[in-house]
Formats: sequence, C-alpha cells, structure tokens
Amino acid sequence: MVIDSGTSATGTEFSSGIPTELLGEARERASGLGPYQLAWWRLRRNRAALAFGAVFLLVLVLCLLAPVYAHDIAHTGPNDNHITQTVKVGGKLEDVVNSIGLPIGPTWHSRFFLGADTNGRDVAVRLLYGGRNSLEVGIVATLITMVLATIVGVVAGYSGGLLDGLLTRALDVIWAYPVVILGVALGAILAVSGIDVGFVKLKGSSLMVPAVVIGIVYVPYVAKPVRGQVLGLREREFIEAARVQGQGTLRIMFSELLPNVGSTVIVFVPLMLANAVLLEAGLSYLGAGVQPPNPSWGTMIADGISSIPAAIHLVLVPGIMLVLAVLSINVFGDGVRDALDPRAKIRIGR
Amino acid sequence: MRRLRSAGVLGSVLVLALAMSACGKSTKAGGTATVLFGTAPDSLDPGMAYTTQALEPDQTAYIPMLTYAHVAGTAGGKLIPGLATALPTISADGKTYTMTMRHGLVFSNGRPVKASNFTYAVERALKIPWGGSSFITDNVVGSEAFASGSAKSISGITADDATGQITIKLKAPYGAFDNVLAFPSFAPVPKGTPFKNEPTNPPPGVGPYKITNIVPNVSYQVVRNPYWAKEAIPGIPSGSLNTINAKISSNTTANALAVLGNSADVFDFADTIPPSILAQVPSRASGRYEKVIKNSTYYFFMNTKTKPFSSELARRAVIVGLDRNAIARLGSGFFTPACHLLPPGIIGHPTGPCPYGDPTKPELAKAQALVKESGMAGTPVTVWGEMRSPRRQFVDYYTSFLNQIGFKATEKIIADATYFPTIGNLKLNPQTGFADWNEDFPNPIDFYGILIAGDAILPTNNQNFSQVNDPVINAKVNTLGSLYKVPTSSLSSVASQWQALDEYTSKKAYTAVFGYASFPKLASNRLDFSAAVLHTVFGWDWLTFKLK
Repeated sequence: MVIDSGTSATGTEFSSGIPTELLGEARERASGLGPYQLAWWRLRRNRAALAFGAVFLLVLVLCLLAPVYAHDIAHTGPNDNHITQTVKVGGKLEDVVNSIGLPIGPTWHSRFFLGADTNGRDVAVRLLYGGRNSLEVGIVATLITMVLATIVGVVAGYSGGLLDGLLTRALDVIWAYPVVILGVALGAILAVSGIDVGFVKLKGSSLMVPAVVIGIVYVPYVAKPVRGQVLGLREREFIEAARVQGQGTLRIMFSELLPNVGSTVIVFVPLMLANAVLLEAGLSYLGAGVQPPNPSWGTMIADGISSIPAAIHLVLVPGIMLVLAVLSINVFGDGVRDALDPRAKIRIGR
Repeated sequence: MRRLRSAGVLGSVLVLALAMSACGKSTKAGGTATVLFGTAPDSLDPGMAYTTQALEPDQTAYIPMLTYAHVAGTAGGKLIPGLATALPTISADGKTYTMTMRHGLVFSNGRPVKASNFTYAVERALKIPWGGSSFITDNVVGSEAFASGSAKSISGITADDATGQITIKLKAPYGAFDNVLAFPSFAPVPKGTPFKNEPTNPPPGVGPYKITNIVPNVSYQVVRNPYWAKEAIPGIPSGSLNTINAKISSNTTANALAVLGNSADVFDFADTIPPSILAQVPSRASGRYEKVIKNSTYYFFMNTKTKPFSSELARRAVIVGLDRNAIARLGSGFFTPACHLLPPGIIGHPTGPCPYGDPTKPELAKAQALVKESGMAGTPVTVWGEMRSPRRQFVDYYTSFLNQIGFKATEKIIADATYFPTIGNLKLNPQTGFADWNEDFPNPIDFYGILIAGDAILPTNNQNFSQVNDPVINAKVNTLGSLYKVPTSSLSSVASQWQALDEYTSKKAYTAVFGYASFPKLASNRLDFSAAVLHTVFGWDWLTFKLK
C-alpha cells in the first residue's frame, strides 16, 4: 500500500511507498519536507542501500589513493615491468616471473601483495589504477550520457513535429544496435584513429575515447524516458501558464521542464554508472576500451584469462572488484530510485 | 613397418600383439590420427593457401615440381625434385630454368598430369591471386601482363606436354627461384579448375593424400589418394596413416590438454601452449614433447627515417639495453635471445659475437647514456603492437623499457588481422613496434630481400618497417645486387659474404632483434614421436606420421 505525498511546488510528483505501519511517522516527518529532502529521508531508512553506498565509496577512495599505494607501499608504478627481478617471500628469493612465464602469486607483503601479472607488474597497484581508470571512464561516460540524453529528450519531447521525429529516429538507430557490438565497433576504430572533431581532439590511447563511446551508446536509454516524461509535462497547466506569461522555448525547457525531469535523471545516474563500468570492462576485455599498457579491470581480466589454470588470481582479483563496484552502485542506485520514485521500475540494458 | 607385416603373416595375432607391446619402437601402418589447430587455414585450395595451417595439409595433397627433404633440422631445407625428374638446370646468365615433369603421374581424380598443368597452376595462383604471387610477377617474363589481364598467357613459361619439358624465363637472375617452385601453390592442378579460390572444394592434386569433408572453420579430413603411385617419387614418403582428421578450435588450452590426455594426437606447432599448463607438459608428455627451432626472427623495428630512431645512437641504446631474458620469459621460454637478423638455420647466420655485447646481459645505464648522447631523450614514441599473446606482452615490456631509457613511449595495439597491413602503410610512418619473420624458404634473400633491401620499401604492404635504405646492403641484396643472383644450391659458396653483411646490419642497429623462436612439438603417445618430423619449412610433416 502506498500513499501519495502530493505535488511539489514545481510540479514534480512523488509517491512515498512507505508501508502502512510507518504511515504515522512518515506523515509526521514528511510534513513540510521538500521532494529531495523527502527522498533523502527515505534513502536514510534503506540500510542496505546505504551499506552498499559505503562499499562503493570505499572502493572509490581506495582507487583514488592508488598513487599513494604505488609510491609509498608497493614502490612501483602500474606499468613498471619486473620480469627478471626477484622478490623475498618467506625468507627466500623467488622470481617475479619464472622461466616459463608464470608470475608469482600473492605475497601478502607490501611488494606484490596480490602477486604479479605475466609482465611482472604489481597486481595490487594495477588493480587500484585499473579501478581509477574504470571508474573515471564510467563517471565521464555517465556524465556524457546524462547531459546528451537530457538535452535530446527535453528538446525532442517539447518541440514535437519534425525535430522530434528526426531526434527520435536517430535514437532508434543507436538503439537498434546491441550496445556491446556498437561499443566494440566504435571503440576499435577510435582506439586507432582517436577523435578529431572540431575542438575535440583525443588520442586513441586516451581514456576519454572509451568514455565518449560508452557515453554515446547509452544516450537512447535515458533520452527516451526523458522525452516520454516531457511529452506528458508539456500539456500540463504550469507549462501553459509559462507560455501565456510570454516565456521563450529555451526558458521553458530550462526553468520549467528540466527541474521536473530532474528526479528521473538522478534515478538514472547510478544505474548508468553501473552499466558504464560494466561496458567499459567488456570493451577493454575485447580490446576496444582502455588501451594497454593502461590497466582497467577489463584489460586485467583479459590478460589473466590464459593463466587461469595456474594463476587464477589474475582473473579473480579484478573480477571481484568489478562485481563489488557494480553491485554496490546498483544496490545504492535502487535505493535512490526507491527514494525518489518508489513506483518507478527502471532497468537498463538488454 | 614391413617387419611388422611379415610378423603378422608368420605368426598369430597374439604373437604379433605381444611383439608390438614388447617393442616400444614398433609402429603400425594405417589408422587414424587427429590434428588440432587453434586457427583455421586461410584456404585449403593451394591456389590461395599461405598459412602454415593450410600448407601442412596441402603438402600431402599437392606435391610441387620441387620440394624439400622430409627430414628434421636444417637438412629439411634441402631442395629435392618433386614432380620434376630432377632439380632445374639454370642457364649461365641465371635467367632460364629448365625442368622436366615425371611421366605417368595422375591426379587424385584419375586424370593424367601434363607439363602444361604446371603452367595452369601458376596462372591460377596469379589470378586468384595467391598472397605470394609477387614471387612470380616480380621475376617471370610476361607474368605481370598476364596477372593484369593484358596477356592471355605467361609468355615466360613454356611447357611441352609430349616431352614434359618446362622452361621458365626470368626478367633477371633470382637465386631463390628454385625455392619458389617448391610452393604447393604452384603444384599442378587440372586444366579447367576455376580461377577462383575453392576453399571447400579444393582441386585434385598429385600427392599421397587428398583433402575432403571440409567444414569451414571446424574440420576436414585428409584421406589416401587411391591414384598415388606408391614410392614413385624418391624422397617423398607415401604416408603411413589412412586418415588424418583435422579439427579447429580456438581454445588452445583445451587443445593442448586433449593432446596431453591422448584424446587427440597432434598439437599445432604454431599455437602457444599457455604458461599455465606448460609446467606440467614435460612431466605429462615425457618423450613426446620438445621445443623445435624453426627459421624465424623476432624483432622490434626502428624507423630510420624519423625521430628518434633516425639516430644510430638511439637505435644502439635500444639494442644495448633491451632485456632479452625478460622477453624470453614472456615467450614462455620459447625464445633464444639473439641479435642478428639471420637465424641459425639460414646460411649466412653470423658465428661471431653480437656487436654491442652479450644479448643476455642488458646494460640499462649504458642505454640511458646513449639516449642522452643522441639528443633524443624525451622524444615521444608510439610503439605498435598486436593484440595476441605474448606479442602484446612483448610490446608492453618494450614500451616500459623505452620509458626507462629516456623516451616518452605510448602503445598502440591493434587487431592481429590488420596489424601488418596497417604498419606496412608507408603514410602511417610508424616509429617502432613488433615484427617477426618466418621463412618462406631457407634462403637469406627471403629475409634481406623483403625486410632490409632498399627496393623492398613499398607504399603499402611494406615489410621493410625500419625503412632501411643502405647502399652497402642494397649493393648486395636488391634486384641488381650480387647476392640476389646466387642460386640456393650455391649459397654455401657465398656464406661468408652473407655473414659479413648480417654482421654489418647488426652493427648499424637497424632492427632490435630479440630472439629466435622455437615451437612446441607435442604429440599423443599413440603417435611415433621420433618418426614425426616438425619440418623447417612445412611445419608438421604429415607424411611422417605413424601410429605406434
């Protein structure tokens, strides 16, 4: 059973989804709260979401501290090869990479804490740098998606007519391709040639290349729901009132429509981030994402695949981090969605 | 083999079985073996086939006019007559080759073989076109006109069906031309065979076997050719097995495990045994596994036409500091550290030391000093590499190394299939990257004429990635050079000249050679391992396969 929390001053609609047993407390606490305060109040009550949010924050902080770990603890960079060097483990010297190319496993010491990869690089250092790269790509891609999708969705939904038709068909064209195939195709091309469009100049090895690719392929997944919401909003009285007051199209879009689709956009952010991190890992695994020698969780898994029978840590370690990051973002995102719009059932990907 | 058959006639089956089990080295004729490949052949049609995965089966079904001795080691590089009665006679000016087709040969469809079938095969290979057709168009009179469609036949090749005599006229002497005649792509095929690639229905040929039941990218069979005149051609084994099943699966770990577990018989030498199972191979495959060196050179090219490697000091820095032991480990121990372009199995391989010190003892500090001295410190370098393992790992190491000695290196890794065409585009002008060369035939000109000679610099499909155009080298090895003209059969007479040239090339630091590859020879315990030859040219020589 749910109760309506009413309509905000800006016209944004929310429904609380608060169970009946909490109804009294909800009424008491909710009275006088704005929509976002109400959402925050709901989110605070969702302990699972908060716990996974904390896990994600921890992963993020660890990854941001990668240079500190590399410099002060492991004393090696993410791309430094130590193939023919040795390391002391349990009082005896061991090859970092042995004569047939097998790397050392976890030493549980500061050097090669999680072992080495086939190039004798410290897995722990690469894991943290890889996480930085994966999250950086994911965050930038999400920003690109959200900005482009919001603009396209609002413009298409409010304008209607030919412009709406053109934008919607363009979205359909992107939507028609499975994201991984489209991502691989774009990523593989751009990884060699880079991007050189007007003032945007990116080298093929730049982390921004996969970010742009991922950001673009996910635009329809957000733009279409935004457009759908705008189609409904543009017929509402407050929009009509704005028109009667003589407000221009751009102003109506910016000051009337945008705040009203804000909650939808916010709900999408963690979901898109999780999907972007996953797609980045997939593209990097296939060689179309983060370019070597830069690490990412996807490239680390790809590098470790052939060593599974003897050095499974090369796949397990980045795999676990990837699962942890994506799971935590997803659960936290679900919490955010429930807090902002408990009736919504948003899922990304296919 | 014959001894066993006699025993079978004289004794009972039980006695035979006991005798066989008691004698570990006994082999039996007939039977079936399974070969596993990680990569599919480019085409089983000899008119198109150019990869080892294709040439291995084609060697059993398409015997060329000349071929190689079916023995292991460098002796396998010796040319012997195939369908020709003898090695060709070469005119004094080195421009005319004459040979005679054996009498009484028949194709696997029962039709007789004529001398003109050789001409037809050459024409077909040019029209398809086969990847190595330039061996003909660069050398044979009238072949370019035929390939371009402006002539109806190759004027430089004449064949007399009555006598079996074939005469080939070259534009200029080319010492390795008899090696060219040993490609299965120029093995006779019946007239009327379409001038197009027939990957699932390859034409009849002359050989102990024929290829059948082809399922593209999945499997095919090699079965006995009923028309093969047994032992009619000296030096060419008739093969012991009745059937060879070839299966293709990209999971090389599973392939290696299958051969280790004896559920398949032969592991493709061109595939890499993953390090993760390599450790168990010597113990699990005792007596049926070894590393075999084939003639190949692995190196990093350094573009001499652009910074920083236009500086000889910068190139020397790379050669001095490169840790070849590290690369050998990345290659799972399948690389022998080296510095010279010509590998040991090729005539002309220098016997002297490397000009810049022991290749197994890198001198990082010296390399850093050389980079500083060259004035190229801090120069941005793009390192090109392939995706597949361990080649990408080589490039990862190399990039890290270049940064260590003072350059500002970044990587550009691209798909395997497009790598060499991409870096072979002269417009791209790549600075440095991975390269390798596996012999087409055991002749130093196959290395120098393609990788180092000035006239080998081409606008597209360039293989002279370092863009070396050195007058000293050119005077010896380009189309007008003296060594270019020396026939393969006389190579030993100029071995010292080749050695001197290769030492000169190493001294000029044109390429950072890091090693010669060895390959895994791994078979099941059903197969007679000592009899099975991993041939220097053919790869696995299927005609030597026998069951124990």
